[in-house]
Amino acid sequence: MNTLEDFLKRDASLYPDKIAIFCQGNRLTYAQLYGLVCSRSSEFLPFKGKAVVFPNTQDADFIITYLAIHMAGAVAVPLEKDCPEDRFLHIQKEVSDTTFEDAIADILFTTGTTGKSKGVMIGHQAILADGENLIEAQGFNNDTTFIISGPMNHIGCLSKIFPVIMCGATLYILEGMKDINAFFDAISWAEGKVATFLVPASIHMLLFYGSKKLRQLAHKIDFIETGAAPITHTDMSKLCEMLPTTRLYNTYASTETGIIATYNYNDGRCTEGCLGKAMKNSRFFITEKGTIACQGQTLMSGYFGEEEMTRKVLRDNTLYSSDLGNIDDEGMLHILGREDDVINTGGFKVAPSEVESVALERPEISDCICIAAPHPIIGTVLKLLIVSDGDIDKKGIARYLQSKLESYKVPFFYEKVECIHRTFNGKIDRKFYR
Amino acid sequence: MITKEDIRSLLEDALPLVNLDSEFLFSELDSLEVTTILMMLSEKYDIVLEAEDATPKNLKTLESLAALVEKKLGEKE
Repeated sequence: MNTLEDFLKRDASLYPDKIAIFCQGNRLTYAQLYGLVCSRSSEFLPFKGKAVVFPNTQDADFIITYLAIHMAGAVAVPLEKDCPEDRFLHIQKEVSDTTFEDAIADILFTTGTTGKSKGVMIGHQAILADGENLIEAQGFNNDTTFIISGPMNHIGCLSKIFPVIMCGATLYILEGMKDINAFFDAISWAEGKVATFLVPASIHMLLFYGSKKLRQLAHKIDFIETGAAPITHTDMSKLCEMLPTTRLYNTYASTETGIIATYNYNDGRCTEGCLGKAMKNSRFFITEKGTIACQGQTLMSGYFGEEEMTRKVLRDNTLYSSDLGNIDDEGMLHILGREDDVINTGGFKVAPSEVESVALERPEISDCICIAAPHPIIGTVLKLLIVSDGDIDKKGIARYLQSKLESYKVPFFYEKVECIHRTFNGKIDRKFYR
Repeated sequence: MITKEDIRSLLEDALPLVNLDSEFLFSELDSLEVTTILMMLSEKYDIVLEAEDATPKNLKTLESLAALVEKKLGEKE
């Protein structure tokens, strides 16, 4: 078994009538899914060795396309559901001329520290290593129904498709968490136990107005993984109290590192900031600078078209992250923050300079800075401080940013200020605003 | 009596990008905006809101949100 698609073929033979995907009232068995992937792959055969860019439709068709691209020997480049057309075409143009080696499966676009999005190349081997890590550390199995409610083009949710297919389990796809009752319906729908991945903001939401139903369904929830952003200790404790027999994981992962470590905080100690021990195919250590470095088969293959940038973070089979951390006496990883300017909002990482450069295209904005601001549910949101001679049209600016950037990069709050603080050499003084 | 203007003044600063006058408010919101609205109403009016209250019907307009608050306050008495 060298690829995810090899596992899919096996599933279709071992469990042909088992439900592979349930989405919007429609079900696909493993035999049907495999058949659809095989027939769709013929469309992509002319792209063997080339990259295929496609949007996340957050449904079964997305998974069929994703697997079919792999099966045809092409590279899958899934983008945001609401990706602006300009950006879609720009990425398509950027990747279209390159011929990739067989080992590359995906390019996932993620925020770079410099403000420019980077294409993270992920190999088939890394996909299987991620899947194996999750199966062994969190207990995915053939009876699992995994509920996906986040964007499937991001590593947080995309990586859950791997163990589901490797186990022949069932995937239940939701458009998002807006309809909280649809989430509860998904739990009730499953014959056996369910598992899911929720960003901390979604957990906060569930605890606020879903607690009654969550308690009623507690016996059906095998495990819940969180990650992508820090979860508060209050929410961790409340969830432990509400779901006493559920495994609750906090995971260390990123597009570049893959899935590295996980910690079940429903262990009686509920340690805040703890991300657990390294998984089967992974290792980590702390550098002299105090940052987390990772090794193992889950690491990315490099940044697309950015050899220098790749060398900066990936050397000697080691991925040097910008996350600050330490390792305790038990060998468990703890995260302490980040050493760069990237802002984490609701689990999405945003380079403020990317937002600022687009905002500055507006004639009425003479200077601006994108900063982190507190929000009662999301935790951290983006706020744009604007220098302008006249009044600012908040909604007009937001709409403009939305037409150029993915929606999670559009600031939530806007405020007019007299000036933006700069350092002695003219750079934006970001530390002033922290 | 709770009016749509009471609801608007409560929400407009927390949700600066949402068109609060929409006749189809729910369809314009994302999950976190739905939660923000329910959390702010719950805190301001000291009412308990549950999953079954987060329906498209209750979140259709500012008027329907005002009616939801009125109903919850009535249940408290």
